Amino acid sequence: MKTTRTLRRASQWVVFLLFVFLFLNTEYKDNDVLPYAVNLFLRLDPLMAGAATLAGRALIGLVWPALIVALLTVVLGRFFCGWVCPLGAVIDAADATVFRKVRRKGAVPVSWRRYKYLLLFFLAASSLFTLQWVFLFDPISILIRTLTVSVFPAMNLVLHQIFDGFYRMPGPIPGISEPAYGFLKSHFLAFEQPVFRTSAIVGLLFLGILAAEKYQRRFWCRNLCPLGGLLALMGRFGLFRRRITEAGCTRCGLCESECRMGAIGGDVAVTDHGECIECMDCQAVCPEEVIHFSGKEGRRPAAVDLTRRGVLAAAALGAVTVPFFRVEAHGKAPDPLMIRPPGALPEGEFLARCTRCGECMRVCIANGLQPTWFEAGIEGMWSPILVSRIGYCEYNCTLCGQVCPTGAIRRLPLPEKRKTRLGLAYVDRSRCLPWVGQSDCIVCEEHCPTWSKAIVFREERTRTARGGWRTFKKPYIDEELCVGCGICETKCPLADRAAVLVTSRGETRSTGVLAR
Amino acid sequence: MIPGGCPFSRRRFLQAAGGAAGALAASALFPSALRAAAGKTVDVAAASAASPAERARKAVALLGGMESFVSRGDVVVLKPNIGWDRTPEQAANTDPEFVVAVAEMCLAAGARSVSVFDRTCNDPRRCYVNSGIKDAVERFARKNRVGDALRIYHVEDRKFVRASIPDALAIREWDLYRDALEADKIVNVPIAKHHSLAGITLGLKNMMGIMGGNRGQIHFRLSECLADVNRRVPVALTVIDAGRVLVRNGPSGGNLADVKSFGKAFASRDVVAADVVAAEKIFRLAPRDVGHIGKAMESGLGIASRAQIRLVEG
Repeated sequence: MKTTRTLRRASQWVVFLLFVFLFLNTEYKDNDVLPYAVNLFLRLDPLMAGAATLAGRALIGLVWPALIVALLTVVLGRFFCGWVCPLGAVIDAADATVFRKVRRKGAVPVSWRRYKYLLLFFLAASSLFTLQWVFLFDPISILIRTLTVSVFPAMNLVLHQIFDGFYRMPGPIPGISEPAYGFLKSHFLAFEQPVFRTSAIVGLLFLGILAAEKYQRRFWCRNLCPLGGLLALMGRFGLFRRRITEAGCTRCGLCESECRMGAIGGDVAVTDHGECIECMDCQAVCPEEVIHFSGKEGRRPAAVDLTRRGVLAAAALGAVTVPFFRVEAHGKAPDPLMIRPPGALPEGEFLARCTRCGECMRVCIANGLQPTWFEAGIEGMWSPILVSRIGYCEYNCTLCGQVCPTGAIRRLPLPEKRKTRLGLAYVDRSRCLPWVGQSDCIVCEEHCPTWSKAIVFREERTRTARGGWRTFKKPYIDEELCVGCGICETKCPLADRAAVLVTSRGETRSTGVLAR
Repeated sequence: MIPGGCPFSRRRFLQAAGGAAGALAASALFPSALRAAAGKTVDVAAASAASPAERARKAVALLGGMESFVSRGDVVVLKPNIGWDRTPEQAANTDPEFVVAVAEMCLAAGARSVSVFDRTCNDPRRCYVNSGIKDAVERFARKNRVGDALRIYHVEDRKFVRASIPDALAIREWDLYRDALEADKIVNVPIAKHHSLAGITLGLKNMMGIMGGNRGQIHFRLSECLADVNRRVPVALTVIDAGRVLVRNGPSGGNLADVKSFGKAFASRDVVAADVVAAEKIFRLAPRDVGHIGKAMESGLGIASRAQIRLVEG
C-alpha cells in the first residue's frame, strides 16, 4: 500500500520543482512580457486571496485559482499541505535530512495546534477592518519572500565567489569551470548580484521555521500556519478521509507515532480530519494494511480544541489592533522616500492587497524595488519601495505590474507606464558639482529617459571656491516631464549621497491617509 | 608634458604605432622608425549607400578592405555602441545591420574570433535586445554557422582588470575590460550622435564601453579621460555609423523627431581623424569645437589636422 505515499512524494517534488522553475523565471528573459503566470502559487492561495479581498474591499479577479484550491479542499480535505505546499515540502526535506536522527524530547503540547486557528481568526478580523497582516504568516508569501530577498541572493553570491576563484586560477582549472559557470549563469544564477534590505532578518526568520522541527515534526504546519488552519476548517468534512477497517487492526500504534501532523489521537481509529494532510504515511507503514483513504465515513473526527472564548478573544484582538496602527503618524506625514512601484494603488488599498511576497522585487530589472522596514509603518513592513540609490525604475519595463498576484501593483500598458509618476527628482544644489562650481558632469541629464528630457541643463556662470567665475552646464528638473524613475539618483557619480534625489512628491496615485 | 628634445616623443610613438600591438613592439626597438612617421597622412573614407550594411562595406573597401586591418588568425573585439534601451530607429545605438556587416568583414579577413560587447547605461539585457544587435549578430552567426567565432556577450564585472595608463592626463589607472586589453585588434563601431556633455559622440567616446568602475566620475574631466583610454587601448579601425543620426537630446534620445537621416559611414585606421571628418561632415564642427577631439589631438593620440587627412569618398 505504498503507492499512494509514493505518489504524494512525487507530487511534492513536482510541485516544488515547478515552484523553483517559476521563481527562476520571474525575471526578464529578453522579452517585455512574461509569457506565463510566474505568480501562480500566490494566486492559488485561499488565505492570501481572502485577506486581500476582505481588506482591499474589492473582488480581485487575479486570484480566481484560489477558488479551485478552496473547492478541492472542501471535497478532498487538507491535501494541499501534504501534496502541494512548497513550504511543507521544504520542511519535510529538512526533516528527512537535517533532523533525521533527532530524538524529539519535551513534546510540544497538543493544545498548541489551536494557535493556528486563533491566528487565523485574529488575521481575519483585522483584515475585515482593513489591516492586512496575513503576509507575516502566509507560507507561500514567506517562501517566495525568503527566496527572493535572502536565499537566492546568498546562493548566487557563494556560487559566484567559487567560480570567480576557479576563474582566476592558473592551469587547466578555468577550462573546466567556465563551461559549468556558463551553464549555471544562463539557467540559474542571477544576471547581476541582487542585494536587498532586510535580507539577513528574513533569512533568520525562515531558519526559525525550520529549526522548530527539532521539537516537533511539521511544527509550523501544526501549530502556526494560518493557511493550514483555514484549509483544516474547510476540509474537515472532505470526502477523502482516513479510516480503519477495525477488524484487522492490532492497535500497534505505528500509524500514530509515524503521523507527521499528530492527527491520530488516543485511539488509533480516531483521526482529526482537520489536521490530517493525507500524506499517506500511516497507510504505508500499517503492517496489517487496514488503513484506507476513501469517501466512506470513518469514525467521527476528534473535536477541534478551540474554546468559544479563545475564538472571540482572537477575533476581538484582531479588530482592536487596527486603530492602533492607524494612528501611527506616518499616515499623516508619509515618509518622503516611500516611492511605490509604477501602477501601485493608493496607499491604503495598496497595503491591504500587497502580499509582501517579493515577486516585484525579484523581477525588478535594476534591483531598485526593495522591502521596507518601517517607512510605511509597521503595517507596511516588507512592502516594496523604489530605493533609487540602489537601483532605478527602467523606463520601458512593466514587469512588476505583471507579477503582482493581487493587483496591488496594476499591470500597466507601456505607454501608460511611461507617464506614471512615481515621484519627482530635485537637485541638491549645495552638492551638485556644476552648481557648486566644481566641474562639469551632467550624467543625470545624459541618462534621463523621457523623450523630451526632464533634466535639462543651462550653461551658467558660477563662482568657484577659488573666487573666479567659470561657466558650467547646470542641471534643472522639468517637473512636468519628470516621472521619478530615479535613474538620475542611481547614476549620480557622487560616491555617497546623490546630488539629484527622488522623493514621492507628485506621485500619480493619491496617497491614502489613515483608514478609508 | 614630455620636455622637448626627447627622442621618444609620445606623439610620434603613437602615430607610428597606429594601433597594431605587433607594430608597437617592433617600433619600440627602432626609435628611428618613429621619426620617419611624423608628417604622414592618413586616409579617412566617407561612404554613402542605401543600406547600413552597404555603407559599412563601402567605407572599409575605400580603405583597401578589412585585410588591411585584420590579419588571419586575429582575435578581434568589435565594439559597437549598445548603450541604451532604445530601438534602432531611435539611433542611440549602432545600427544592427551595420554591426553585422563589419563583423562579417572581420571574419572574411580571417579573424579567428570576433567578440561583440558593450558596457551599457540601461539594463544590459534590455539594451542588447532592443538595440536589435544581439538578435542580428546571433542570427548571422547561426545562419552562417560561425557561432564559435562570432559571439555577442554581456560584460562581466570579474573580467575588468586594473590597467595603468602611463603619462595619463587624468586617470593614471582604471579598470578596463580584459577582452579588449588582450585582443589582437579592436574594431571600433560607434554611431554618430549628439551628446549633451561631450557635444558629439563618435569613435573616441565609444571606447568608454570598455571601462569599468564608476564611469560617471570621468565626466568631471571627460576629454582628458577619453584621450587616456584611447591611448591605452588603441584601435585598429574605426567605422562610424552615420546613417541615422540623433542630432538633439543625445546620447540617449528616444524621440524620432530628433533623428535625421544622413546615409553615411566613415572609416579610418586613425580614430581621431575619423572623428574629425565625421564631426565636420555631419555636425559641421571643427576639431577645436569638440573638447575631446581637441584634447586627443593635443595629446598626440592621432591625426587631427585636416591637412594631414586624405578624404576618400565613395
